[in-house]
Amino acid sequence: MASEAAAFAYAARRLRRGWRSGELLILALALVVAVGAMSAVSLFFGSMREAIARQTGDTLGADLVFRSRNPIADETLEAIDASGVRRLPAVTFVSVIVSGEVTALASVKAVAEGFPLRGKLRVTDEPFGPAREPGRIPASGEAWVDLRLWQELGLAAGTEVQAGAQRFRVTALIVEEPGRGFGFTDLAPRLLINQADLAATGLLGPGARAQYLQLVTGDADALERASAVVLPGNVKRESPQEAQPELMQSVRRSYDFLVIARLAATLLAAAAIALCAWQWGLKLRDEVALLKCLGARTGYILRAFMLMLLMIGLAGTAAGAVVGYGAQQVLALMLENVMQVTLPQPALAGPLLRAGGLTLILLFGFALPSVLEACATSPIRVFQRDARSAARLLPMLAAVAAVAATLWLQVGQWLGAAIILGGIAAVAVILGVLAWLLVRALAPLKRAVGTSWRFGLGNVARRRWSTVAQTVALGQALLALLLVTIVQQDLLASWRAKLPPDAPNQFLINIQTAQLEPMREFFAARGLPAPQLWPMARGRLTHLRGTVLRAEDYPDDPRMQWWINRDVNLSWSDRLNDDNEIVAGEWWGEAGAGRPLLSVEDSVAEMLQLKLGDTLTLDFAGTPVEFTAHNFRKVDWGSLRPNFFLLAPPGVLGDAAAAQWLSSFYLPSDRRALLRELIRDFPNVTVLDIEALMGQVRSIMDRIVGAVEFVFLFTLAAGLTVLLATIEGTRDERVREAGLLRALGARAGVVTRGLIAEYAVLGLLAGTVAAVAAQAIAWLLAEQVFQIPYGLRPALWAAGAGAGAAIVTLLGWLSLRGTLKTPPHVVLRGTT
Amino acid sequence: MTAAVIAKDVRKEINSLDGAGAPSLKILRGVNLEVAPGATVAIVGASGSGKTTLLSLLAGLDSPTAGEIHLAGTRIDTLAEDDRAGARAGTVGFVFQSFQLLSGFTALENVMLPAELAGLDDARGRARDALARVGLAERLNHYPHQLSGGEQQRVAIARAFAGGPKILFADEPTGNLDTATGARIIDLLFELNAQHGAGGATLVLVTHDEQLARRCNRVLVLKDGVLNG
Repeated sequence: MASEAAAFAYAARRLRRGWRSGELLILALALVVAVGAMSAVSLFFGSMREAIARQTGDTLGADLVFRSRNPIADETLEAIDASGVRRLPAVTFVSVIVSGEVTALASVKAVAEGFPLRGKLRVTDEPFGPAREPGRIPASGEAWVDLRLWQELGLAAGTEVQAGAQRFRVTALIVEEPGRGFGFTDLAPRLLINQADLAATGLLGPGARAQYLQLVTGDADALERASAVVLPGNVKRESPQEAQPELMQSVRRSYDFLVIARLAATLLAAAAIALCAWQWGLKLRDEVALLKCLGARTGYILRAFMLMLLMIGLAGTAAGAVVGYGAQQVLALMLENVMQVTLPQPALAGPLLRAGGLTLILLFGFALPSVLEACATSPIRVFQRDARSAARLLPMLAAVAAVAATLWLQVGQWLGAAIILGGIAAVAVILGVLAWLLVRALAPLKRAVGTSWRFGLGNVARRRWSTVAQTVALGQALLALLLVTIVQQDLLASWRAKLPPDAPNQFLINIQTAQLEPMREFFAARGLPAPQLWPMARGRLTHLRGTVLRAEDYPDDPRMQWWINRDVNLSWSDRLNDDNEIVAGEWWGEAGAGRPLLSVEDSVAEMLQLKLGDTLTLDFAGTPVEFTAHNFRKVDWGSLRPNFFLLAPPGVLGDAAAAQWLSSFYLPSDRRALLRELIRDFPNVTVLDIEALMGQVRSIMDRIVGAVEFVFLFTLAAGLTVLLATIEGTRDERVREAGLLRALGARAGVVTRGLIAEYAVLGLLAGTVAAVAAQAIAWLLAEQVFQIPYGLRPALWAAGAGAGAAIVTLLGWLSLRGTLKTPPHVVLRGTT
Repeated sequence: MTAAVIAKDVRKEINSLDGAGAPSLKILRGVNLEVAPGATVAIVGASGSGKTTLLSLLAGLDSPTAGEIHLAGTRIDTLAEDDRAGARAGTVGFVFQSFQLLSGFTALENVMLPAELAGLDDARGRARDALARVGLAERLNHYPHQLSGGEQQRVAIARAFAGGPKILFADEPTGNLDTATGARIIDLLFELNAQHGAGGATLVLVTHDEQLARRCNRVLVLKDGVLNG
């Protein structure tokens, strides 16, 4: 009796002799693409998330910051140290700084040697002078100040300033300070000193209001442990993700892009595998019948073919994993250059296991059903070619289950998987109906064209159902390719366009109402467009729905405490910025003027558990104003434009609040000297230069876009695999027909042109239906997932049809090129 | 001695494709046959008379609508398809009109198959010998498409004998060959059969070829679904 070893030997020999056959090669290729895409994205995204956390860590000055109003208790510090991180203390507090006769309120920061733990401190010797990295902190007796304090105190290099009881010599001007943050709330001017001088100032006596910080850095595991340390209520933990929401939003969105790219690649690969396996299964029938004739039992045949699949699977997974790992390295390199961090080596075990799992699902879900079907072939087929096994339910169910499992593996949730599955089925049906209508419309044309085209169109019309099936398969593949192009070009471009090159890169704060006109004149005189201006008042939230708010009532909600303890900014306008979107209630427009209404950012509304119509009282320097919540807004903080948690209609505050103004404008880098004139003419105005931050966000976006485009290469490869599989599937039939036609006297040119005509028509049909579907899906994705405006693209239809015809014709011609030269008798003898 | 092949009142009907209502097509209407071990039998008849159907039933490739079939002492009409395959392994050899070689395998690998499936030792050695006996010792590693029609049929004959079968079924073995090649193939078939084991294998062949039919001990004519000797 034939043993396992014999089945293995048969499988190995069969594979050695038959791997060059089109189906198995494409099947293996599809596996490589699927596994490659899956492992590249998992490996890469793990590293990227880490890298971006590190980069945002640079802006925070640490990987984690612990913050408290009192010195952090020793046991808490011990618990933090026990997690294996490196820790550096810092203290900030507000104090009056004196220089000669001039005084200014400044935020003093005392730091220890080693600051910052992440990112770079950069200083200069004169305002807007060339920046350098000092590589140290101020020495004892030295102080470094930011531009604003420099302006306010009218300093020059070497001037002495006094903080409390201690005198400091100003030796540098701070250009960039990690941990300074970016926001409109924490903008007191900075005085940076050495912690060794802190005691001598005598400013931190009992009752002093200070922030005690512990800056922390370490490897991922240590940081994870430090993030899990249980903290007393007065200690707040800050992570980079919280520090830079605009970056994290970009990162999350990039992950959406990557998942779509990977999903498309996997589904296409699955389709290619199913197609190849189906064609392979058809070819296996003769072999199965013969083997059964020669005495092989079904079990033996099944074992042999399954072993073949496993061998292909093993090779495909190994090659796919290598490709995925290589791709991850390329992606990592792309990011490392711009982020100037070494990406951590990704953990391999998880992604590899998942890749193996994917292979098993793809092979046994998509390929095995066809093999099972082939194994059921009756041996009588050796005499009766049309003897076939009845279609069975099990393989169909297996395929559906496999699609669902693949989607679940990719999407991570059943509902999402079910929606996509339904979407694919719906698209297939729509493509099928469109294709059928088009085929019918084409039929009368064949009488009006030449011989070659009559042959080509005749084939399309004659094989109507096969044409429809092929159009659906080709259409799905072309659809994916078109989607790739759309997502890449349109959606990514729209995303990038959210931060156009001329986006405002300078903010001016503290502008007094009386300075508005001179400010406009200043810009006009220098040929710059008038800057946009936002009024701003600072008020404290005192009552909610008529009840007094007290921070101690919210011991577990640090954000709420922060809101109660600090003045918050409120602006007013009758126009809604386009990076704002009303999610509840209505915008007041001009009709709101003078009414005490409030528009609240949705996360704040959620924190305060607000409902429309609730009242909130804000105290503006002793004058309380009661507002009614009129609408909630979603704000795109990623736009890096001035935005406010709270907005009111114009004319409500009147004299109640001493209004300041905020402005933003774009300043080309070659005109930065203008800032010096600006602070000379408006000494109280603070310039906030976010060019560096924007550059950082933009470069990360660019790299992410590059990474997404790179991952889409897998999708492209998978799409082409499906196209190849579809064309390869009908190759034999076309070769036979071409041979017959040539035997009947048709010239090779006529046959070739006929085939090209047929492929061109098929491609045209598939491309047209795919373009229509791609347009619809892109619109859905843009509106629902990425929230980017998206319009109709008529050019895409033409491009889809043209590209479809070109690609399918080219692949078809490549696939048949060799056989068209073969003598007809060889073709007809069936031995090609 | 047990007969090599026994058929008792074998009937085969096929349901009409039109489905319900239409009468079924009666291909075999009660065939009776007994073939002694080592005998050579030719089944002849007009095209469409059911010769190939009878051959496939006798070899257990299909099951009859009614009747009994015994193959080398085993009743096979009651067996499932898989068990019939098991009964064929190492017992039955085939020669087909269209050669039925696996295109991806070399001549040697094609000939090795039956011995491997029957779990016999030294399948490679047996295959090499068999190919040498059909005069293809020099073409072991050629693929079917590199061989002529006559050579392909010789490979098929080598394959038929390599597994050491007791019974050999041949379906129009010369049908795809020109007269001269066909004659050489017939010679080869009978020559090998004569050399094969004690008294040779039982040979049951279906043919149109009168020359071939005359070489057999018995010639049976299939007409109107009934076999006449």
